[in-house]
Amino acid sequence: MKVLYFAGAQGLANLRSESLHLKEGSSVKDMAAEMLRLHPELRGIEPTIRYSVNFELAESNSLLHDGDEVAVLPPVAGG
Amino acid sequence: MKSVRITRYPINPAEVLALVGDREAGGAVLFVGTIRRRSEGKAVEGLTYEVYRGMAERRMREIEEEVRKKWPVMKIAMAHRYGQLKVGEVSVAVAVSCEHRAEAFEACRYAIDTIKRALPIWKKEHFKGGAQTWVKGTPIEA
Repeated sequence: MKVLYFAGAQGLANLRSESLHLKEGSSVKDMAAEMLRLHPELRGIEPTIRYSVNFELAESNSLLHDGDEVAVLPPVAGG
Repeated sequence: MKSVRITRYPINPAEVLALVGDREAGGAVLFVGTIRRRSEGKAVEGLTYEVYRGMAERRMREIEEEVRKKWPVMKIAMAHRYGQLKVGEVSVAVAVSCEHRAEAFEACRYAIDTIKRALPIWKKEHFKGGAQTWVKGTPIEA
């Protein structure tokens, strides 16, 4: 799956996107654990991060599939 | 012009207002958000907005549906800018037309409040002297 990093998360992880390969049946929670293993810099802000899967906000137990687009969304400030 | 739009080009509030023109409407409310020159006491030179475009446009269309369910709206238009903006520039505009003004005010207020809480948009403040920082924000809401 493709993982996109935005704003503060992009700065801390020092990348915009990457491909992650998780085993079939993995959830958003599993993806987050893998993300923190690869980018421990994100640990401090992880409690405030929300995730979207294919443009929809996802729960931590949502299942992921090959080809999904997951986004790492730090707290937002539009307007 | 689309009634819901994420754009890197300057927003003209008059164009957003014109999009909600309707002969059945008794009034229209227009909200225009601009870049303030001070933030928490510090002098700001400008802001950079980052947006997750595909998701933001989808969420904006959902906000339009939510507003239409809650109020008898004739037309609604929303535009949010991204990229680098200077003090005084327009970052967001929302226009709503209704038969009566009370619901137009309420619907417009709901739309801009939801835009701030539920769209994947972030802003980085550029202060005089060169310091930059992401605005703290709040976890994105469904």
